Amino acid sequence: MSLFSAISISASGMDAQRIRAELITENLANADTTRTPQGGPYQRKDAVFTSSPVENSFAQTLADFSAGPATGVTVSQVTVDTSDPERRYLPGHPDADPDGYVAFPKIDPATEMVDLMSASRGYQANVAAISSVKDMIARSIDLFR
Amino acid sequence: MSLDRTGLELGNVLSYLARRQEVIASNIANADTPGYKTRDVGMPADFSSVLNQQMMPEVQDAPGLTSRNDGNNVSMDREARLLAENSMKFSLATQLLRSQIKNIRSAIEEGRSS
Amino acid sequence: MTISPTAAPIALPELPAAAAAPSVTGTFAEAIGAAIGQVEAAQSTAKIAATDLLAGGKGDVHTVALATQRAELSLELFQQVRNKFVSAYQEIMKMPM
Repeated sequence: MSLFSAISISASGMDAQRIRAELITENLANADTTRTPQGGPYQRKDAVFTSSPVENSFAQTLADFSAGPATGVTVSQVTVDTSDPERRYLPGHPDADPDGYVAFPKIDPATEMVDLMSASRGYQANVAAISSVKDMIARSIDLFR
Repeated sequence: MSLDRTGLELGNVLSYLARRQEVIASNIANADTPGYKTRDVGMPADFSSVLNQQMMPEVQDAPGLTSRNDGNNVSMDREARLLAENSMKFSLATQLLRSQIKNIRSAIEEGRSS
Repeated sequence: MTISPTAAPIALPELPAAAAAPSVTGTFAEAIGAAIGQVEAAQSTAKIAATDLLAGGKGDVHTVALATQRAELSLELFQQVRNKFVSAYQEIMKMPM
């Protein structure tokens, strides 16, 4: 059960990093989006990670050797950057305001890329964890022979 | 003639290693969770207490790690290393246990032909 | 002087329903009964461990595997010892009197 839980935990990690990567990709794609259906420029999104117990396909009881407090992770919230957008002076731009300023998303592609690499590494690490746990379970099953 | 203590120590080692792998998986999953502190399974000074009893060491905060700005102190290098080491120890222990069981079986069957 | 057998050969147990041959009395039957009990206990432990894991998600695969191996070894040991006793009994019965 420890090992089956571990798989659930790593799977939750993969999920969370994937969601994070998707948000970053959306940020990058919309780095220059000055007009959204809601009006106004695109607002940067961020994933908030929170530890949480995993929903295990097997039930757990208190009396067993589960590393009880071992927790997975979820994206508890997606925050939207509501701070003032970046304003650039482009009087000819279709979205320029009366003063000639255009509101742009506050997104720095370099920062987003670094974040994306971190999400990617995190994802890979969770994949490696699942792989090693699967191997341990297989070896346990070998004990039957 | 009771065989119900066969493989007891190795079985306990396997349980310990499985529990530790679960905790390592948890650390890896939470490597980017703000405020999360790396956990580990306690290593008692006298490991034989793990071997001989059903007492499992507690899960506790791992010492000696520095936190980053968001309060998280998970070191991916540490976790990756432990993941591999732990898995290898588990392989070793299962192999030893298999040998042990095989030897007992041989000893039981040895008297057959006489 | 005649020696007559007091009982049929030891009843070969079919677990889990087992009983020592009823007409053999004395410490030997008790020893066999105790051994059968141990084998049954080991098998029961293994079965409970397996059920707990499969139905309730409680326990580890290696724990179930170990319990299963213990049960099998117990049975094998019992069978070897029983076979020895049966052979010995048959040897004795062949002795001319």
